[in-house]
This record gives sequence, structure tokens and C-alpha cells, in this order.
Amino acid sequence: MSAPAAGRYVGQAVQRKEDPRLLTGHGRYVDDIVVPQMLHAAFVRSDLPSARITAIDVSAALELEGVSAVFTGADLNPGAGTMQPSMMAENPAAVVAPLTPLAGDDVRFVGDPVAIVIAESRALAEDAAELVVVDYEPRDAVASMEAALADGAPLVHPELGGNVASDLALPEDPELEAIFASAAHVVTERIVQHRHTPTPMETRGVVASFDPVTDQLEVWLSTQGPHEARRTFARVSGLPERHVHVRMGDVGGGFGQKFFTPREEQTVVLAAKRLGAAVKWIEDRRENLLAANHARSDVATVSLALDAEGHVLAAKLDHLEEAGAWPVGGTGGVGPFVAMLFPGPYRIPRIWWRSRVVWTNTAGRGAYRGPWMFESVAREQMLDVAARATGIDPLELRRRNVVGDDEQPFTMATGMTFSATTSATTLEHAARVIGYDDFRAEQARARAEGRLLGLGIGLYIEPTSTPAATLGVEAATVRVESGGGVTVFLGTAAHGQSIETTMAQVVAEHLGVAYEDVRVVQGDTDRTPFGGGTGGSRTAVIAGNATREAALKVREMVVGVAAHLLEAAPEDLEVHDGVVAVRGTPVRNVSLAAVAAAVHNAGTGLPPDVPRLLEATGRYQTSSPTWSNACHICTVEVDRITGQVEILRYVVSEDCGRMLNPMVVEGQVHGGVVQGIGGVLYEHFVYDDAGNPLTTTFLDYLVPTAAESPRIEIDHVVTDGPNPEGVKGMGEGGAIGSVPAVVNAVADALAQVGATVTEQPLTPVRVVAALEAAGA
Amino acid sequence: MAEHHIRCTVNGQARRGIVESRTTLADFLREGLGLTGTHLACEHGVCGACTVTVDGRAIRSCLMLAVQAEGATVTTVEGLAGADGTLSPVQQAFMDAHGLQCGFCTPGFVMSVTAFLEANPDPTDSEIREGISGNLCRCTGYQGIVEAVRLAATRLRAAEVGA
Amino acid sequence: MKAAPFDHHAPETVAEAAALLAEFGDEAKVLAGGQSLLPLLSLRLTRFEHLVDVHRVAELHGITRTDDALRVGAATLQAEAEHDAVVAAAVPLLARALPHIGHFQIRNRGTVGGSLAHADPASELPTVALTLGATFEAASVRGTREIAADDFFTGTWSTALAEDEILVGTRFPVWAGRTGYGFAEVARRHGDFALAGVAAAVALDADDRITRVAVGMLGVGATPVRAGAAEAALLGTAPDAAAVTEAARAGMAALEPADDLHATGAYRRRVGAHLMETALGAAIEEARRG
Repeated sequence: MSAPAAGRYVGQAVQRKEDPRLLTGHGRYVDDIVVPQMLHAAFVRSDLPSARITAIDVSAALELEGVSAVFTGADLNPGAGTMQPSMMAENPAAVVAPLTPLAGDDVRFVGDPVAIVIAESRALAEDAAELVVVDYEPRDAVASMEAALADGAPLVHPELGGNVASDLALPEDPELEAIFASAAHVVTERIVQHRHTPTPMETRGVVASFDPVTDQLEVWLSTQGPHEARRTFARVSGLPERHVHVRMGDVGGGFGQKFFTPREEQTVVLAAKRLGAAVKWIEDRRENLLAANHARSDVATVSLALDAEGHVLAAKLDHLEEAGAWPVGGTGGVGPFVAMLFPGPYRIPRIWWRSRVVWTNTAGRGAYRGPWMFESVAREQMLDVAARATGIDPLELRRRNVVGDDEQPFTMATGMTFSATTSATTLEHAARVIGYDDFRAEQARARAEGRLLGLGIGLYIEPTSTPAATLGVEAATVRVESGGGVTVFLGTAAHGQSIETTMAQVVAEHLGVAYEDVRVVQGDTDRTPFGGGTGGSRTAVIAGNATREAALKVREMVVGVAAHLLEAAPEDLEVHDGVVAVRGTPVRNVSLAAVAAAVHNAGTGLPPDVPRLLEATGRYQTSSPTWSNACHICTVEVDRITGQVEILRYVVSEDCGRMLNPMVVEGQVHGGVVQGIGGVLYEHFVYDDAGNPLTTTFLDYLVPTAAESPRIEIDHVVTDGPNPEGVKGMGEGGAIGSVPAVVNAVADALAQVGATVTEQPLTPVRVVAALEAAGA
Repeated sequence: MAEHHIRCTVNGQARRGIVESRTTLADFLREGLGLTGTHLACEHGVCGACTVTVDGRAIRSCLMLAVQAEGATVTTVEGLAGADGTLSPVQQAFMDAHGLQCGFCTPGFVMSVTAFLEANPDPTDSEIREGISGNLCRCTGYQGIVEAVRLAATRLRAAEVGA
Repeated sequence: MKAAPFDHHAPETVAEAAALLAEFGDEAKVLAGGQSLLPLLSLRLTRFEHLVDVHRVAELHGITRTDDALRVGAATLQAEAEHDAVVAAAVPLLARALPHIGHFQIRNRGTVGGSLAHADPASELPTVALTLGATFEAASVRGTREIAADDFFTGTWSTALAEDEILVGTRFPVWAGRTGYGFAEVARRHGDFALAGVAAAVALDADDRITRVAVGMLGVGATPVRAGAAEAALLGTAPDAAAVTEAARAGMAALEPADDLHATGAYRRRVGAHLMETALGAAIEEARRG
């Protein structure tokens, strides 16, 4: 297949528009916002995982000089609207935990906000928070899914009557059982992925200012979606949407944690409204680790039936997903999505699944880069388990089962249909780049010396731009300003994705202007069209095609005006770098600045039928996901004494369609891969059995550093995506494929001495335990 | 609650302020002096986002009290570029090598790397990775940053030879 | 994450510092580089009404060498000691341990005395001091005294320093003759506190027999500990590799590291024995070359 040609701007690794300000300290993040007479908030949080509140005494806190207010649930909860995101709030069938701004009669995890203190400074607010006395009557808590599902377990949400938030399953399938009964090989494992937390470098934060005279709420927010935030704030506060203005400046990462609008931000808005004042809350790192949404924490028992040649005949998946107490986005459950995607890029003709979502007295689950990615973890680990059981090489086993590039559209046994993916190609590319056969020989030599090397594969397809609720549509407005410069207004919310750069490239390409002359405006609900936010690998596809359409519409307007100015037919004109010229006669030209001047000046003598407008809005709508795909292969060495894992090489072969900017694409892949590696080897949010969190600082929650991160080699397979711009989404993928690749590599190394691991994280202690259990 | 009048030189300018004993240098720079390029991402000395130099040494400004900066010479990320906005060699290398995405950790990295390359102008890749391991980044996987350090080192050495 | 209020005091002499400590008693804490104290204050895991900041006390700074000892002033920066040629020549073990402390930005502010007085059992300098048998110089309004390393570390984050005492300096013995040193540790990430670590020093006679040996460990107890059984097994011998392995096994067997969040005691025992073997092997090899 031939790759689509790069454009003059699209497809080029142009330098980022964001960089000069961010490199010089001139970025503007929410903590940089100062509003006159702004007050500061701190939360009083529960230090018990489950307890009834018997009394709250705020008097000592209120007496502290500089303290403006202390609000408890009794103050802010009555009258508050729903706090759920739009997709839950507008779905009457949604099962949601009874979330309130502050704790009501009880607390349900360590970190549950009980009161909010408003004071002249953050330090004073923290001083006062320590003076709030909360009397608790402790209750037994459930700190794990196992505990929550036990007979007679204490209930996380007594009003919901049980600890299972949802329980979906396919009917019993006798034919599938028959396949298992007669299969040449059956493998079953329990796969565990532990709890992580997204930890963007910038914690959450908000400045909310309410003017009781105008009834206007002004909010500055660290978010992935200002428009969703505006709707959320309007619902919770009862203000009409038009009286809520949400702005974001630079945002220091989100990774899903800022996609919806969390509880604390909504509570701060209510406090500001109550006080008629401006209130800033900047989450500190301990709060972020303790109480911002957590991620992952999945367990599944998986069985595969294979024939003698290693073809997968059927699968069974019994999946448990931990929701915590207050998941972000209702139950937080993507469980059914995990099951639906489990077959991934492989022919798995028959499947049975059950998916349960379980409440526990822990921090709520939320989105994190590839929220459903446990499907890849479970599937790819099981394929390696099957490879060892059948004696078929894991690469060969995948070759025998992968859906060919020319066998699509392909409908999985779960009913999901994917198309235009190249899993088989990326599998071969990644194997070639890593030098698969050479590595196997090296592995054998190392083994003879007593060293343990391993190789792991993670092959996946990724549904990007999934059109759930408001997420299927974006709009872009492109405007040629009076001087000829171009401004683009987007409903997106960049927090590291380089959207100012890539969307400027799209406009420069299709409108025909210089990249330098395009400025992108986003993150302001008063200035930009509605957008679903940046997340779900959706910006390139949905916003990108909307931007393209808007640019093409404006180009047509420009050409229409220029045709009159040049006395030429519009079809004879071409537009490049801000100059409209007659094709073949470049001396007959007019600049975009002159076109803009003509449009904006009544005296230029344009005929009355020429619209005096150089502004258009494009919309792009999708009704099904755009599929991208990649294959990750890494090699590792496991230290037999210390159990430490060193990644020797890391290769990604990926297809995200036409790349708007290959530098940006590669940066996204690099970051996602290291997040995945961090999750497998280092990051683990730990609760003890009683529900006490043990990893609430960066000394204990271990984010990988450069010294733990490998160099990543990327191979691009470029095929046109099924949309005008030819793009596919890709922001999340790096964090999906890396997890099974690393787990499988370690398991491959250990298997040589008979040791097995199916549970993450692969800490030195766990690896050593596996070695010792195998007597190695 | 004791307050202190302090004077120090920040980015070449004499500055002064009144701080509480407990005010960190980071909070003084951000809130007292409006130099918000210095970021706070953990406030307990692990992430490195608040790195500045004090009397020529790169330090974590969340682990130093403002009152301890009395008389000191402080450089923040705002002090690196030229008055006309010309990026420093390290800043330019970060831009050229895509060493930043969300930009929140970036000021700390730029300050650390500037100090690191002064001490070690010709580092190996593993020295680079070790040298920047006191700064956390969540976006880049460090690849662009490592490349930026290598690029800056090469350019700085070339400039040294040419000078 | 802001510290609770406190008063900051900046004495310029040891006498002034000691007077402040005497005045405020248990409401006061010495602030040196602050790299351990300030996070604890910011996290509000500890609090003091008064911080006695010693970084302006000139007499606490500096490194001096005598025939048989290296004296490091308590407020000497770790970075200064790390890059000091006198330190590297006189007490190589100290020079090798220093780069393992945190990251360079931490060592640029952290002090040698601060780390010793903080007495984290998983940190490097207390183990070096214990291994080499350093002497601690303390001052208070009551006078000055010296404390032997064996008596100094009394528990996790606790030392023999009285509430009103300030650590003034530490004297590390300089080993003469054919000596060698090894330092090895394992941490989760680069710069993290060690899960386990070993400092080893040996001196050999002309026949390669060990005339002096010291082995200390970090991360395996409530304080830094000496691996006495390993020392006893090696003293007076000219060990081959198997003997070193056996000595390390014996040294580790006598210790009982505990479980914590990052590692089990059993893991620390396994890795500790390996590190001891590595550090001792390197020390002996170096001494033999000398």
C-alpha cells in the first residue's frame, strides 16, 4: 500500500506554536490566574474509609483571622443540582452513586470531602481546615472487590442495596461449552491489573468568581472540556448556561482525569456562588493522589479454546471492574466495553462474557488514557499463555489468528465492526524492526549463561473518536481578520496535544495561508463553538475534519472575492501562503490581506452579490469509531537476584492514518508508552485491607523517571483514515499496547525457568517471588 | 507569626518582599513577585517542576524558604531568554526536539538541564537520563527531552569551540 | 500543601544557635538544608513553633583533613563534599555514597550534617558514618561533646543528640595502607531511598590478608546497621570469591529486615546478601590493586 503524500503543511513536523511561551515561563495555567480579592479554598477530608458523621464543629476554624467561611454538606448540598457528567445526567436509566458536593451523613472513602474552608490564603485555609472537628462513628469498609463481593459485606452505598453497580452477561451458551469441551487446547488464567492514578503534572484547579448583581459566573479551570464543564456548572448551580463562562488557559496534562468536571471543582463553584466572591482552589499533590479519580483495577478470569494448530475457537471472559466509591462519570464502568472489544484484531469466532462493576470504599474510578484497555491486557496475556501451552511461538500464534488487512470490515463475535486497520502489517513490521528471530537466538544464548531475557508483544486495535453522547460532533470557525491574518476558533481543549499547531497546519494547508499567519483559539465557552472536549483520541478526526471543512469554505470565499479583484474565473485561481494567483500566470495575484481589505472596506467596489464575509464554520460528525492500530514489541532482561526489569529495546509499529504532524504523533506515542511501562513496573496506588491509602506522596506513588524509561523506536504504517482528512485518532494508544508488551516480555523471560506472573504490577518483590516459587 | 523583609536578586533585578517564615521560595516567586513560570507540582521535593538556581546551584524552590533567599541571586525560567525573546540554547533545543507537550514540567527541566550541562558539557545518554531523573514529566516519555539535552550539549560545545 | 506557621531564626554562630535551642526546647528544630524537614512540614506530618536555621553559621561549613581523620562541618553541602578532591582521597567510601543521595538538585541544598542528624535508616550517609566509625561533635549551651557512631543512631529518625544540641561536625576516620571500598544499593527508581544498600571497607596486609574490615547496611533496620558476622568471617583471612559469598550470607543472616510498602523483609535479605557480596568483592579487589 502506498502512503498518502504529505501536504505543504499537513504531514510536516513544523515547530509548535505553543512552545515559546511554555519554554519561557509565559504559559498561563489556572494557578497563574489572579482575580482581585480572590479567596482560597482547602477541603477537610475524611481520614476514615467509611463512617457516619455525628457532628461537625467549625467554630474554631471560623475564629481564625482571615477565614471567610466554612461550608459543610448541610450548607451546600441542599438545592445542588446533579453532579454527574452530561452523558449520565441526561440518561434517566443511568445507575449513579448518590454524589453530593460535600459528604452528607457519612463518608465513603479516605479523602471524601467533608467541608470546604475559604480563607485569605491557601496556607490559612489549611490552618483552618485542621481546626474543623469532625466526629465520626466508624463503620467497616470494603477496600477491595473481593471484600465487597463477600457475603454480608458492608455496603458502600446503603441506599443502592448492594455493592454491584452493574452486572451484565450474555446468556449461557451450550454451543460454546461444546467447543471448549472438544478443543485441542484450553487455557484459563486469572489476569489482574492493579490500581493506578493518572497524575498529570498539573493537579486539578479552579478559580470561580460569582457576581450576584449580574448573576454571572466566571470560571477558570484546568480541564479537558470547558463546554462540558459549563453544562455541569450550570446544572449543579441552577444558573442558566448563558450565565456561566468557562475559560481554560494552558493545562498541564489530564490523561482523562480532567475530561469530566469533578466534584471538588463543582463544590468550589457553589461556594463562590454562595459567597458572591472569587475563590481559587488548587489541588495539592496529596489530594490529587488521594481523591482525584483513580484508574484501572480490573480482574478477569479468561479462558481460550484453541484447535491443534493454534486457532482460537472461542473465549470466555468473566470481568470485574472496581468503581471505587464515587466514580467519575456515573459508575465509571467501561466494563461492557472491555468485553465488547476483547477479541481485538483477532478472529475469535465465539465468545461469552460477564461484566460486573463493583463499588468499594476507595477513590472513584475515572477515565485514564484508554479506559477500556484491560481488554488488550487480558487478551494479549492470554495469547502468550496459549502460546506456551500449545508450544507455538507467540508471534506465529498471532499470525494465525490476526484479521488480515484485506479481510475488513470485520465484525467481532461481540458485534463490534472495525475497518481499515493494518494489524497484520504492523505485527510483521514490529517483528522485523526488533529482529525477532535474532532476538530468540540471543535469548537462548543468554539463557545458557544464566541470564533471563524476554520478548513481549502487544497487538491491539483502538476505537478512536467514539461518538458517545456529545462526543461525535465538533465545529470549527475560521475567520480571516481585517488585516489578512487567520484566526481559528475550536471547541477543543488542548492540554499537551499540540492542537494550536496541528489545527493551524490544517488551516494553512486548506485555506492556503502561511502557518505563521494562523492563530488557534480554544478553551473559552464565550468565544468558541461547542465541543466535546479533548480526550478519547478524538481531536484529529473530529475537530480536524471540522477545521478542514471550515478552511475550505473560507478559501472559497477568498477565491470568490479575489476573482473579482483579479478579473479572473474562480476556477483559475490558486491560493498558497496567503497569495491568490491565476494558475499559470503567477504575476496576476492578490494577497489575502488585500482580499480582506476589500471585503472590510465599503469603497472597494466589489459587486453587491459578493458576500462581504471571510468567516465560516465547519462541522464534522461521526456515527462510528475510527479505528487505529499498533503493534508494540519490547525486549527485557530480568535480574535474577533483584527481580528488577530492564527494558532493552522498545518498538512500536503503528497506523494512525495520515499524520497531521509526525513529530506530534511520535511524542504522543512516546508518552503513552512510558505511562504504560510506569503502570506495569512502578505505579501502584495501594490501600491496606482496612481501606487506608498508603501511597499519597510522590515518594510512594512511583512515576517513572528518564532513568527508568527506554528509547522508543517507531515505525509508521500510513493508510488513509475513513474521513476527508484521512486521519485516525491516536492519543491513547501508546498507553494501551505497552502494558501487555511489557507484561508479556517479563513473563516470557520468567517462563524459561518455569516461573509465571499474571498479576501486575511487576515489582521486584513480585518477580522475585515468582522466581522463588519456581525454585529458580 | 513572624514576617520578614527580604531582598534578593532575581533574574538580574533587585527585588524585595515581605514573607511569612513558612513561605517557600517557590510561593514567593509566584505570588510575591508574579514569576509564575516556576511551577508547583508536588510541593514535597520529588517532581522538580519548581527548579530554579540560587547562587548558581539548581535547587527545588519548594524545599527552600523565601527567607533563606535573603541576599541570594536567583534565576528562574523567565530569566533565561534574551530580552528580545530569543530562546536560550537549552530552550531552543527543547523546541527543536519536541521536548515538551503540556509544558507544566518544562520550566523545571529547562533549569535543571541548563545547570546539568554547565557541570557536564559532554554527557553520555545514560548520564543525560540520570541527570534529568530528578524531574518528572508525564507527557513525553522523556524521549524528546533526552534528545533536546543531547542537541543543546552539541550546540553549546560547538559555540564554545567557535568562541 | 503549606506548612503550619512557625518562626524562622537565623543565628550566625553556633553559640547563638545553641542558645535558641535551649530557649525553645522541644518547640524548636534545627533547619539545615531542609531537604527532609521541609517536605515533612509541608505535608504537615510534623510541626515546630521555631526553626533554627543554621545555614548562615560560618563555623559549620567546611572540610578539613588531618592525618587520621576528615572533618566535615555539619552545614557543608552534600554537593560540595561530593565534588571535593580531599574527600575523595581521604574517605573514598563517603565520596562514593554521596552521589546516591536523591538527585543533584537535592544535594545542592542538602547538607552532610542534616542527613546524618535526620538519621533515616534508608539513607546513605548514616550508614557510611556507622561503617567507618565516625565521631559526631555536638554543641549546646551546656558545652560540647563527642558521640561515637555506634551510640549516635538510636532509632528511625532519632539520634543521641539531645533536644538542645546541635550537630557541629563529623569526623570520618581515614584508613591507611592497602585499602578498598565498595558501595552498592538497590532502589525502585533512580534517586529513591534504597530498598537495601551496603557500604564496605577493607584493609589488607602485604599477603592480602584482611587486617581491617567494616560492613554497614542501609534499609534493613530501624537504624543503619553493621554486618558484624560478615566482618568476623573475613577478618584475618585472604578470602576467595566463595568465602566472600559465604561471609555476605552470614552477615545478612544475622539481620532481620522488616516488610514495608516497597519491599518485604525476605526481599531485602536476598538483595542485601547480594549487595554485600558485590560491595565486599569490589572493596577487596580495589585493596588488592593498591
